[in-house]
Amino acid sequence: MTRETAASGRRPLETAQGASATRGLGLALLVVAVFLLPLASRGRDYYLIVLTLCAINVTLASSFRLIATVGQISIGTMAFAGIGGYTSAILMMKLNLPFWAAFPLAGLASTAVAAAVAFPFVRVMGIYFAMLTLFFGEIVRLIMSEWGSMTGGSTGLLNIPSIGILSFAGMSIDFGHLLPYSYFVLVIMFLILLIFYRIDRSHLGTTLPAIERDEAVSASVGINVIKYKVTTFCLGSFFIGLAGSLYAHHLRVLNPDTFGLFPSIYIVIYAVAGGRKSFAGPIIGAVVLTIVPEASRVLKQYQPLISVGVLFFVLFFMRGGLVSLPGKITARMRAPREGRAANA
Amino acid sequence: MVHGLYQGVFNGLASGLIYILVALGLTLLFSILGILNFAHGEIYMLGAYVVYYACVGAHINFFWSLLLSAFALGIVGILLERFMFRPIRGDLEPAVLACIGLTVLLQTVAVIAFGTYLKYIPSIFPGILKLGGLRLSKDRLLVMGIALVFTTALLLVINKTKIGKAMLAISHDADAAALQGINVNRISALTMGIGCALAAIAGGLMGSLLQLAPYMGTFAMTKGIAVIILGGIGSVPGAVIGGFILGLVDGLAPLFTSGTMAAIIGFSVIVLILLIKPKGLLGHD
Repeated sequence: MTRETAASGRRPLETAQGASATRGLGLALLVVAVFLLPLASRGRDYYLIVLTLCAINVTLASSFRLIATVGQISIGTMAFAGIGGYTSAILMMKLNLPFWAAFPLAGLASTAVAAAVAFPFVRVMGIYFAMLTLFFGEIVRLIMSEWGSMTGGSTGLLNIPSIGILSFAGMSIDFGHLLPYSYFVLVIMFLILLIFYRIDRSHLGTTLPAIERDEAVSASVGINVIKYKVTTFCLGSFFIGLAGSLYAHHLRVLNPDTFGLFPSIYIVIYAVAGGRKSFAGPIIGAVVLTIVPEASRVLKQYQPLISVGVLFFVLFFMRGGLVSLPGKITARMRAPREGRAANA
Repeated sequence: MVHGLYQGVFNGLASGLIYILVALGLTLLFSILGILNFAHGEIYMLGAYVVYYACVGAHINFFWSLLLSAFALGIVGILLERFMFRPIRGDLEPAVLACIGLTVLLQTVAVIAFGTYLKYIPSIFPGILKLGGLRLSKDRLLVMGIALVFTTALLLVINKTKIGKAMLAISHDADAAALQGINVNRISALTMGIGCALAAIAGGLMGSLLQLAPYMGTFAMTKGIAVIILGGIGSVPGAVIGGFILGLVDGLAPLFTSGTMAAIIGFSVIVLILLIKPKGLLGHD
């Protein structure tokens, strides 16, 4: 956590020093506030469950964004989460591996599959890539329901173990309880976001969007387009696999439909509704669209309407996503005054 | 075994004809509006429900119900084109998002309005026709006949009429077509209307053979997209050929392996085609 605040303290040099310091402070406060949330909702299981789900969705949407920065809109995100989730659950249940071994292996399994398909996949562009990931996702889901001896078939896996007890310095924490588990998920989420943030602030932050804008031009200035596309695809899939593992031990039951087409579509909606061009976009999108439907207390079957409503609003009125909302509001408030000043 | 084979071919042809109806709409929309309508399956699902409520609820004859459903969803298609797809025309990502948003929206509405229980359209034409050793259900024969009529009608419209020529012109070059005095907006709306009407008919026909559920559209959508990939995205004859291929594969594969395994193999073939020749087997640049 201290590392995270330190990193957000070192904000970009291109903004004015004062503004950057305030922003850094604001971010630090936000991180502290987020880490106080589970404590504040201690004892209220429902809040903790939603909070944990929220953190997992943030991780998934941000990983989707990493893959999408080079122009690859995947509608098979949850297939990789499924590979991670099933891997870690099966490793713990069948091989009795401890979570601390199964967790990284879940990420690696997802990366291995991603790496196996990445080279042919990334050559397919635009709408064809979307179709490709759609069918790939369906294949993965069908394999999950066909490979019954391993995955439990269409019933799925029941009684997935919790991530277990960790003891150090005479203290032992049972991560099977909601409160410690939500902290664990939050820490993992922050570490992953930190990596994404560093990627954004490095030269990749301009290289990757350049590939999306124009592959031919990017290649002509010496950017190895295929290398970057494969790397983002594999790296993104690694974190998606980790998130899948967190999801498995959060739900404690898995079935193939958990990782079907619609969950994948929701990840796209989170990222785009929030604004996938900016780092904060998918985070805001995932948080808002996980919490608002839950908090609105409408019937479960009506909840998708909220997400779809936000998506259409963004699509037709605010292409930058929810993340551009504050900027638009301040711009509108400032505009009349500046207009008058200019006239005078 | 041989009988099973013939039976498989027969069933395959029946589903193939229905896939063709779905795929023709998809492929027309792709070549004329430049969008891949992921929500096409939901239009198919709504079409099936309109037929169900007209048939079972209002006791309208099945054929009139089918036409009513085609008309209603055709109007929906025209409205969708006007108010949703026209404003975002030419942009890839917003079009994809609009389609997946529409998919979620329509499915949610269907769950709320119709419930998740399975519904059945009573058999239109019960009984079995014995032909040699073959047992052909009259239901399926009728469905095949209807699907064939609509497919032929569409092919005639595309190849023989002015509207069809305008469609082909727009699919080649929308700007040049507009310069020739073709009203691109009107033809686009009409295409969307025709595509949705065909999907509604396909939904009604499939609904009469199997059962209705709010989630039935996803199946149709993946099959439809698979067909147009097989046949070449944007190609009308390709959609017909692709539909027959996929239908036959679906009809025959269960004889040799489990249904899920057949689907895995089928989708893997689609993925391979996308990787090697993204525009589809019969597609061209």
